[in-house]
Amino acid sequence: MESLKLPATGRTPEVDFDFSQGVLRLSGESYPDDVATFFGPIFASLRAFLAEAGGHPIRFDMELLYFNSSSAKALMNIFQMLETAASEGRSISVTWCYEENDDSMQELGEDFAEDLQHVAFTLKQIPADGAS
Amino acid sequence: MRRAAFSHSNGRTVDSIMLAQQYAGIKRDLDEKGIIFSFSGYLSEGILYSLGEALREKMTLEETDGPTVRRVFAVFVEQMQNIIRYSAEKVTGAREKPVELSAGMVTIGMEGGKVFIVCGNTVYNADVPRLRERLEYLKGLDKDAIKTYYREQLRETPEEGARGANIGLIEIARRASEPIEYDFLELDEGKSFFCLKARI
Repeated sequence: MESLKLPATGRTPEVDFDFSQGVLRLSGESYPDDVATFFGPIFASLRAFLAEAGGHPIRFDMELLYFNSSSAKALMNIFQMLETAASEGRSISVTWCYEENDDSMQELGEDFAEDLQHVAFTLKQIPADGAS
Repeated sequence: MRRAAFSHSNGRTVDSIMLAQQYAGIKRDLDEKGIIFSFSGYLSEGILYSLGEALREKMTLEETDGPTVRRVFAVFVEQMQNIIRYSAEKVTGAREKPVELSAGMVTIGMEGGKVFIVCGNTVYNADVPRLRERLEYLKGLDKDAIKTYYREQLRETPEEGARGANIGLIEIARRASEPIEYDFLELDEGKSFFCLKARI
């Protein structure tokens, strides 16, 4: 399946879903003016990828520094898709990165991890780059 | 060539003194209240983006730490999007590319060493009781209860007719360092002016 690559914009994150390697990555910031328009195609390709046969392990790197509450809902949707696939036997790991001292993002990681039973979830502290 | 606007007709001179006096007065009033910037008028997603960038640049220049900048920014975004989505005073734009302009005001300032963000917009009186109930509930929650409420709402499917997440208000309360403050002022024509203040 073809990769999904979207460059970051001022308000949307970089999307790098390398489906052939099973490595999915979101980085940057997310507060799109229209959440449905931005996340719609992401949901569609992820859904198609997860429906494919074959037990390729999946690694999801969550490297967002900031997301707004509408994006939080969309991310929850992605996490629920991953959890469902993992509960059906797919090997899936998620790494939630947050900058040191960013308690908000660390707590959000804990919020998102709460429901995950089958996905292997890791919180990872990364050094702050000094900028926001 | 001098342009007509700069001619030395007495009337204009008097006008311009009054003009400066008038706006200096407004500015002084804002400064005294610790207001860093204030925007009143029609807000859009584009204005949210530009004001947000200006806010972050200013805070970063002042060497505010990254997580604080992000907390202020997060509250700012949720407050602005609440106005854009829920203001009772709107202009909808051209057919091909819909632009949503919503009347409201946003004010950011410093008070007792803390940043505060106040948003104001008109709402329909019919919507006031439900909004008031939600805000009063949020205001009464402590940090842990806000966190639990956020977790619950994150897993809820959006309410009918709601655009975006209903967790916007919870996000504001969560990122604030003190309980949120709100107020309503009844205007005429079935509308009220609604204000929400968050300290970060």
